[in-house]
Amino acid sequence: MAVLSPLELEVARLIISTLNLEGITPEDIDPEAPLFGDGLGLDSIDALELALAISNSYGFQLRSDDTENARIFASLRALSQHIEQRRSR
Amino acid sequence: MSRQWIQLPERGTSTALGLIAWIGIRLGRRAGRLLLYPITLYFLLTAATARRASRAFLRQVLGREPGYRHIFRHLHCFAATILDRVYLLTGQTERFDIRIHGGQIVFDQIASGRGCILLGSHLGSFEVLRVLGVTLHRFPLKVLMNIDHNQAITRFINALNPEIAATIIPIRGPETLLKARESLEEGCLIGTLGDRVVANDRITHCRFLGRQTSFPAGPMLLAALLRCPVILAVALYRGGNRYEIYFERLADRVVLDRCQRQADIQYWTQQYVDRLEYYVRNDPYNWFNFYDYWQEDRA
Repeated sequence: MAVLSPLELEVARLIISTLNLEGITPEDIDPEAPLFGDGLGLDSIDALELALAISNSYGFQLRSDDTENARIFASLRALSQHIEQRRSR
Repeated sequence: MSRQWIQLPERGTSTALGLIAWIGIRLGRRAGRLLLYPITLYFLLTAATARRASRAFLRQVLGREPGYRHIFRHLHCFAATILDRVYLLTGQTERFDIRIHGGQIVFDQIASGRGCILLGSHLGSFEVLRVLGVTLHRFPLKVLMNIDHNQAITRFINALNPEIAATIIPIRGPETLLKARESLEEGCLIGTLGDRVVANDRITHCRFLGRQTSFPAGPMLLAALLRCPVILAVALYRGGNRYEIYFERLADRVVLDRCQRQADIQYWTQQYVDRLEYYVRNDPYNWFNFYDYWQEDRA
């Protein structure tokens, strides 16, 4: 099982609690697997909920026109890295 | 619910669209309307899926076995709105007698500077609403559209009216609803249709014309997450060159209790379905979902 960094663990917990993912623990989430479509199987409503939660927790907004979106949403690891760069709290 | 509409009506619609649009542009509305009769007859005879769907729907709403003339009238009503789309998309709104009921609801909403969900359906012609709003009244409207499943329609709109095409938010990927949120924050009306389930949509079950079937949960979820009002929009074709548009305020705020989220979504979606049913009973021939709507019943 892949090892999560402290921030990845925190973001994984945020994903699970925000999206009410029952029966999933942070350790179940492969940090390199896609969050949307295959992998964790999240949809665009999840993406919106997650974006709202991220803006509450980390003080910045994910934007639809970010050219990096494909990379940002690619995996827990990529999303966590993006949060690390952009967070204001 | 039925996922076959993605293939069937799209194929049928693209044939119909192509043919009717060509006639509409080349021959004009008067000739086009005359030709709608043989075209409708042709579809009545050859489009078995649409015919079956029409019969099942009309049986449900009329409470008796519909005859061929009812099905003909149903298909003809659809074809007439497809023809009119050509003129609407090319900005010829003055050709039509369009009456608006409850328009103040939308104007007040726009004036407030706060966005809302404008919840439509495949009952009647969303095009009338869209064109009238965007080109005539400069509504700040953005429409969530599944363009990957509607390529024929999208090409058609692009070709005829780039201004309308620019108002489409394609439903594609995780950033789809981020775009909807940003538009809403700019005070836009977010148009979406709430009566057709697409593969992978989240669904909820509602009672429609006396039978349970599935509806997309997305519109009410979106309204809840974005904390915005929901306005119902229905645009019925009334024959000739007449259309009637109705706006109703469905919800000021959609609040979902985390402990009973599913039940709350069902409640709010049923509010929409109830109003839809009211308008369907008012004018059943405007129902443009030509697939087995209650399919899941038999599962």
